[in-house]
Amino acid sequence: MKATVVEGVEVGTQLPSLAVRFTRERLVRYAGASTDFNPIHYSEHFARRAGLPDVIAHGMLTMGTALRVVTNWVGDPSRVTSYFVRFTRPVVVPDDADGVEVQFTASVAAIEGSFVTVGIEAICAGQKVLGVARAEVDLGMRVPHLDHES
Amino acid sequence: MPITEAHAGRRYPPCNPYQVSAAKITEFATALGDDNPRYRGDSPIAPPTFAAVVSAHAWDQLFGDPELGLSVDRVVHADQRYTFLRPLRAGDEVIATLSIEKVRIRAGSELVSATVEISDRAAERVCTAQATFVHTREVPA
Repeated sequence: MKATVVEGVEVGTQLPSLAVRFTRERLVRYAGASTDFNPIHYSEHFARRAGLPDVIAHGMLTMGTALRVVTNWVGDPSRVTSYFVRFTRPVVVPDDADGVEVQFTASVAAIEGSFVTVGIEAICAGQKVLGVARAEVDLGMRVPHLDHES
Repeated sequence: MPITEAHAGRRYPPCNPYQVSAAKITEFATALGDDNPRYRGDSPIAPPTFAAVVSAHAWDQLFGDPELGLSVDRVVHADQRYTFLRPLRAGDEVIATLSIEKVRIRAGSELVSATVEISDRAAERVCTAQATFVHTREVPA
């Protein structure tokens, strides 16, 4: 894949959306990869003790997955210059084969020079799980490590 | 002795250097279900939120600080901000340093804001990670 610099970007431009299924298997995999072993992300016992209905996804798994909408769009993840997320509602992941689906949509919220701010929405079971999610990407910067690709 | 508003400003010593490896980057990208080719091959860059892996060691210092009395299984992440100067890459050796920015005491819980600065061996800043979390105090039975 070559670095995709998106042409014709304007405020309101919709990015291709993404639907991802979170299962217990994915939570365990993310725990190992991220080294976040908080037991509320794999043990119903600890989740309930913390006042949660069941095991919940790592906020950082939701945050990291949501950013895929943006990095898929720009192609080169090194164009991301900042990223902010407010976690408002936990993603509850049942102990079954299907897990739960989270839908990510995004659109361009602001443009300033070559900097484009993208607002992301994450919906699970009909409700927003991220109160705010905003990523800023620089579509104009030179990317030295891509110079050898034409 | 629980965490108080007076702990704002506390800065921990820099963590031991963290070596970013191609294998760990690929493992992390796979955990996110992300097949972006930039995260694979001989000299990958890391997904932006890989900064959380580097920050984890700094967070361990905070949760291991006996003076604060924090317990990781009573913590819920409230918000997270990253500012990236450049991507993390395989071969990077980076150092994370955590400071407590702000502590707000609420009924039964504490709201803690902390910043992790991630720098390379040349002391050039790579990423700043700012987080707020809610810690629920244990209620005596």
